[in-house]
Amino acid sequence: MADAFCPDCKRSTEVVFDHSAGDTVCSECGLVLEAHSIDVTSEWRTFANESADNDPVRVGGPTNPLLTDGGLSTVISKPNGAQADFLSSSLGRWQSRGANPDRNLILAFKTIATMADRLGLVATIKDRANEIYKKIEDLKSIRGRNQDAILAACLYIACRQEDRPRTVKEICSVANGATKKEIGRAKEFIVKQLEVEMGQSMEMGTIHAGDFLRRFCSHLGMTNQAVKAAQEAVQKSEEIDIRRSPISIAAAIIYMITQLSDDKKPLKDISLATGVAEGTIRNSYKDLYPYAPRIIPTSFAKEEDLKNLCSP
Amino acid sequence: MAEQGSQGKQLLSRHPSGVVFTIQNVVSTVNMDCKLDLKTIALLARNSEYNPKRFAAIIMRIREPKTTALMFASGQMVCTGAKSEQQSKLAARKFARIVQKLGFPAKFKDFKIQNMLSSCDVKFPIRLEGLSLSHGAFCSYEPEIFPGLIYRMRQSKMVLLIFASGKIILTGAKSEDDTHAAFENIYPVLTEFRKIQQWYVIVFSLQ
Repeated sequence: MADAFCPDCKRSTEVVFDHSAGDTVCSECGLVLEAHSIDVTSEWRTFANESADNDPVRVGGPTNPLLTDGGLSTVISKPNGAQADFLSSSLGRWQSRGANPDRNLILAFKTIATMADRLGLVATIKDRANEIYKKIEDLKSIRGRNQDAILAACLYIACRQEDRPRTVKEICSVANGATKKEIGRAKEFIVKQLEVEMGQSMEMGTIHAGDFLRRFCSHLGMTNQAVKAAQEAVQKSEEIDIRRSPISIAAAIIYMITQLSDDKKPLKDISLATGVAEGTIRNSYKDLYPYAPRIIPTSFAKEEDLKNLCSP
Repeated sequence: MAEQGSQGKQLLSRHPSGVVFTIQNVVSTVNMDCKLDLKTIALLARNSEYNPKRFAAIIMRIREPKTTALMFASGQMVCTGAKSEQQSKLAARKFARIVQKLGFPAKFKDFKIQNMLSSCDVKFPIRLEGLSLSHGAFCSYEPEIFPGLIYRMRQSKMVLLIFASGKIILTGAKSEDDTHAAFENIYPVLTEFRKIQQWYVIVFSLQ
């Protein structure tokens, strides 16, 4: 539904876009204004005849606005029969020799996509990470820096901006070679560059234990009741003065809740699922223990059960 | 008694917040204005180390005041480890004297304090998250990466590390007055984000 000038009606009329035929039709007189418009939306399949060889309906891959020319993917291929016809083979050679201005970008996007797939992230986070990388790339100040760390940091920032934060250790596990320190430094660098560039729009709140709780619990296979209890416990623990990283607090609360339920998870499992060291979980547990009656919801465990909780 | 009273009043006038900070480290540079032969100095001076493959300067230490100096072949020297501005100047002079005694025409040009690091304790816990939310433009708080909040004060170009326990580290100052100004600036902000403890719960759990 749009307004366009219809030559037959000689005025601006309401125009209907017919997706099935790709026609733009005037709703007053029925004149077809534009036929065979190219569909730039995402992939859809034609089941006409499943010839995998060449589908003439398709004219290329999905457009990517981050690449310089929208990601045009036309190439000159070598004709069948290898005639060594001068023109066609040279054309092929000349095209591949010409530097694709986006080669680095495409490689970076591919790396980000691999990392995101390993973590099981949705396309929105992946696209945001790509955008962040493109913005940084334009600034040229990352020339000397560790590329893996920068890409990992882009992904980390994208997760944070979408309110689905991932711990730096999780990002570390899928980034090849980047250490926690390098990713941290790269993240600070990117945030500073983008703030200079775009003003105050880097709104990334601090992380909380509750953001990660759901994910850690599902890694461990806890029951719904336990998960709910853990979430309530984390909410209450925010008021208490515990000077520990939010991840360690989340891990300690999971440990406490699993010790109270029937299915007790060993420290090693929790350590693996959360990425927190066993010693740290033990120390955080020691800090949380005095507040146990306050943070654990009474619906989950009564006072007597809390006495069963082993003292650290 | 009267003297102590007046001293107390003086302290309060300088530190209206009632908290005094201690200077932990002073870094200064001085130009000795003569080319040094690092190898001979390293061989002649007793308390020096020189490893050209690792770093192109002599690292020399003296006991009183307990400081370390980096001496470069161009004649520039960096003096670190002093606990006050006067001590830093004294130590730099001592180092220059050592170089003089070894036969080089060392002078004492352009002594400048480059950095002063101080620490203090406000004695109450601080809500770092609240502080980072309200002063977002100046703060950087990443509990995963570093437990302290990094506060970059734009007007005095200083960096403060604020910890949840109430301990503060101030760095980037060129003089003690800079540190004073920065601290008096941040103190009201810290009191605003003081963590209010609830003690009654601890009593219950002790039963």
